[in-house]
Amino acid sequence: MARARPVPGFADSGSFCEAAARAVRIRVEEVFERAEGVLDIEDIERVHDMRVATRRLRAAMEIFAPCFAKKQRRALLNEVKALADALGARRDADVAIVALERVGDAMPAADLPGVEHLVSELRDEQQQANDELAQALDRIEAGGLHERLLALTVERAPEPAVTM
Amino acid sequence: MKGLDPEGPLNENLRRIVAVRGAELRGLGSAVLDPGDVHALHDTRIAAKRLRYVLELGEPVLGPNAADGAKRARHIQHVLGELHDCDETLPRIARVLERLRGEDATAIRAGLAPNASDVDPESLRRARHRRKYAGLESLAAYTRARRDVLYAEFLRIWTDLEQSGTLEWLGAGAG
Repeated sequence: MARARPVPGFADSGSFCEAAARAVRIRVEEVFERAEGVLDIEDIERVHDMRVATRRLRAAMEIFAPCFAKKQRRALLNEVKALADALGARRDADVAIVALERVGDAMPAADLPGVEHLVSELRDEQQQANDELAQALDRIEAGGLHERLLALTVERAPEPAVTM
Repeated sequence: MKGLDPEGPLNENLRRIVAVRGAELRGLGSAVLDPGDVHALHDTRIAAKRLRYVLELGEPVLGPNAADGAKRARHIQHVLGELHDCDETLPRIARVLERLRGEDATAIRAGLAPNASDVDPESLRRARHRRKYAGLESLAAYTRARRDVLYAEFLRIWTDLEQSGTLEWLGAGAG
């Protein structure tokens, strides 16, 4: 799993919301940097890294919620969550297949058909989840999610209310 | 979350968030002592995740205790994630076994004469899934044992967390 990229100038931020803009910008970039090769089911770490990046972005958007216009933030967060769900469905199948194959390697040959049956079902689910992930990636590309998330960090609008 | 000041110092706001996230995790303390309480364990995993991310982000401001807290939270999240996978796998195996048994029973019946009064054991040859059952049952036994071991590991991590002073540090607003 890739470590989170440090946020330059974070500790020196003059205010909570100045730190928010810096942190969210870096976390947005991390998500989209990890999109390459994510549909490759032979290299399951790519989908894992992008999923973790979406988690970190969601966390930052939630931590710094008071720094952004509520309606805009919620709408963007929902889109990030939809992407995270698609990544999560692929990841769940990836992880289950690896775990079952590991168990299968330790089983006597007579026990293998049952495990292989389960792996076969999971491979179908993995492919379906990958197709859905491809659609999700197309949607965020067409909808300009990357650019809109970056714009959020530029046009941040702290609200007088301090609830999230 | 109440009490945040968007234009106030980062440090003070982060400490407030950490205190709330720490309290959420600590509040689950008694519920996690029931190994069968799947919902409490799920809530604990989510609370650990939320705490982990704020500590990871805030480490440059909150200092090395934040890194230690994030590491502990990540460990809890990981072990409970693996345990959750067991909780998903066990009913899945049961569902597959039930479906395969049903398909085999249907195949056996389909090969009988309409007026058959009993089933010849030779009919088992038509049960095309018959070689799959042993592996699935073994897998279920393995998964159940693994869940038990992971829960015991979680309790050790939790006890260590309680004894480490991390929860007090969190409760004091990471100060």
